[in-house]
Amino acid sequence: MIAFEHVGKRYGGRFEALANLDFRVRRGEMVFLTGHSGAGKSSLLRLVMRLERPSRGRILVAGHDIDRLHASQVPYYRRQIGVVFQDHQLLHDRSIFHNVALPLEIQGVEPRESARRVRAALDKVGLLHREKALPIELSGGEQQRVGIARAVVNKPPLLLADEPTGNLDPQLSADIMTLFEDFNRIGTTVMIASHDLALIARLRHRTLRLRDGRLVADEEAA
Amino acid sequence: MSRRPAPPPPRGARTHHTRSSSRFRGWLRHHRAMALDSAWRLLRAPLGSLVTMLAIAIALVLPAALWLTLDGARLLDAELTESATLTAYLAHHVDEAQAERIEEALAAHAGVGRTRLITAAEGMAEFQQALGLADALGRLEENPLPASVVVTPTDPGPDAVRALADELEAMTGVEEVRLDLAWIERLRHLAELGRRAALALGVLFGGGVLLVVGNTIRLAVENRRKEIEVVTLIGATHAFVRRPFLYSGAWYGLGGGLLAWGLLTLGGEWLAAPVAALAASYGASFSLPRLGVDGSAMLVGCSILLGWLGAWIAVSRHLAEGKPR
Repeated sequence: MIAFEHVGKRYGGRFEALANLDFRVRRGEMVFLTGHSGAGKSSLLRLVMRLERPSRGRILVAGHDIDRLHASQVPYYRRQIGVVFQDHQLLHDRSIFHNVALPLEIQGVEPRESARRVRAALDKVGLLHREKALPIELSGGEQQRVGIARAVVNKPPLLLADEPTGNLDPQLSADIMTLFEDFNRIGTTVMIASHDLALIARLRHRTLRLRDGRLVADEEAA
Repeated sequence: MSRRPAPPPPRGARTHHTRSSSRFRGWLRHHRAMALDSAWRLLRAPLGSLVTMLAIAIALVLPAALWLTLDGARLLDAELTESATLTAYLAHHVDEAQAERIEEALAAHAGVGRTRLITAAEGMAEFQQALGLADALGRLEENPLPASVVVTPTDPGPDAVRALADELEAMTGVEEVRLDLAWIERLRHLAELGRRAALALGVLFGGGVLLVVGNTIRLAVENRRKEIEVVTLIGATHAFVRRPFLYSGAWYGLGGGLLAWGLLTLGGEWLAAPVAALAASYGASFSLPRLGVDGSAMLVGCSILLGWLGAWIAVSRHLAEGKPR
C-alpha cells in the first residue's frame, strides 16, 4: 500500500528531517510509528499526505509515485486517505454532523446518502446523540472521536493518524486505539504515529521506530 | 473534474455514467449552496457589505457618467453635422437672373444636396430684421450685400465638405465659399479626448473595484484560513475552496452595480432640469441620455465581473502560498 524508497527530506537545504527511509506497508496492515518528538513522525505522515514532497527518493502509494501527481490530482488523491490529527482540526462554527459530513460535501455526495453515512460514522464512534452539538461543547476525547468519524466517513482505503491519543487519559486512549483496530479489521490500512509506548506494546502491531529522521527498528507484531 | 488519478482504485461497482452524472449534480448543489451561503454571510454583516458595495458604486459612477455624457455629445454632434451648410457668396455684379442660373449650376454639382438662393434684397431684409437697424441700413444708397446660395452637402464629413467648398469656389460667379466647420471639429476633438479620458478612467476605476473587492475578500479568506486549511487537507479542490469567495465577489459586484445604477439615475434626474434650461437658452433641445436597458445590463454585468475577478485574484494568491514544498 505504501512504499518508501530511500526517501529523504531536508528543510531549508540543511536540516535533515528524514534520511534514507526504506520500508513497505502492506495493504490491510496496521502499523505504529514511534519515536521522540522531532524524530520525524509527523514529517513522514505529511509526505504520505503529499503536504510536502521528498527531497530525494520515491514514495509509492498503491503503486503510484505520488510525487508525480499533478497539482490538480492531489485533492483526489487525498480523498483516498482518512487523516486524524492530534488537535482534531474540527471547524468550530459548524455542528458535529456538518464537520463529519465535510469530506462528503467536498466529494458532492447526495445529501440523503451523505446523512446516512455521517450517522453511521457517528454511531460507530458512539457520538450519534451529539450530532447537533458544536465541537466546543464536547470533551477532548469526544472531539477526537469526531475527528475519527470524519476521517472514515468516506471509507478511505488508507487511514493516517498523528498522535491521536496525545492529550487523552489511558482509558480513552485505549478506546480510540480499539476504534482504529476495528477499521483495520474491515480492511483499512492504518498507520498511527504515537509516542505512547506502553499502549503500543500492549496492542501488538508492527512498529516502525524513528530516531533523528532514520528508521532504527522495524518490529513485526509479536 | 475529469482528471482523476488512478491510485488507489475506488471501491464499489458503480458505473462511470452514474458517477459522473451524480458528481455533476453534486457540483450544481455545491454552487447553489455556496451562492446562498455567501449571500447570507454578506447579509449577516450588512454595514460592512454596504460600505464595500458603495465603494464599488462610487468607483463605477464616475466613468459611467462621463461615458453617458459623451454618448449624449455624440448624438448632438451627429445633429450638428447634419445641419452643416456652406454659404457661397456670389460676385457683386451678378444680377438676379444670373444668380438663379448659378444656383441651378450649384444644385447640379456632385456632392450638393439642397440649395437655397438668398438674393441681395432678401439678404438685406434678413440682416435688417436680425440687427434691428432698418433705419440706418435703409439710408444706404446701394445694397452692399451680395446674393448668396446656402448649400447643404450630401456628405457631411469635414473632409468632404472642405473639398466641396474648394470646388464650388472655383465656379464662375462664385466669389467666396464660407464654411464654419472649425467649431464642429473642435467639438469632435473634445469628444475624442473625453472618450479616451473615459476609457482611462474606466480602466483606473475598474482597477480600483478589483482592489476594493480583492481586499475585502482577502480579509474574508483570512477569517476562514482554518477552514480552508482543513478542507484542503481532506481533499478539496482549489475550485471548491474558491467557490464561496467567488460568489461573495459576484454579490459585492451585483450590489455595487445596482447602487451605481441608482446613483446615475438619481443624478440624471437631478441634473435634467438645469440641463434642459441651459439647452433651451441656446435654442437647442438637449437632454441627458439615459442608461437604457443595454447600458444598465452592461454596467451591472461589468460590476459583477469585476467583483468576481477581484475575488478570484485574492483567493488564488492565498492558495498559491499553500503549495507543498
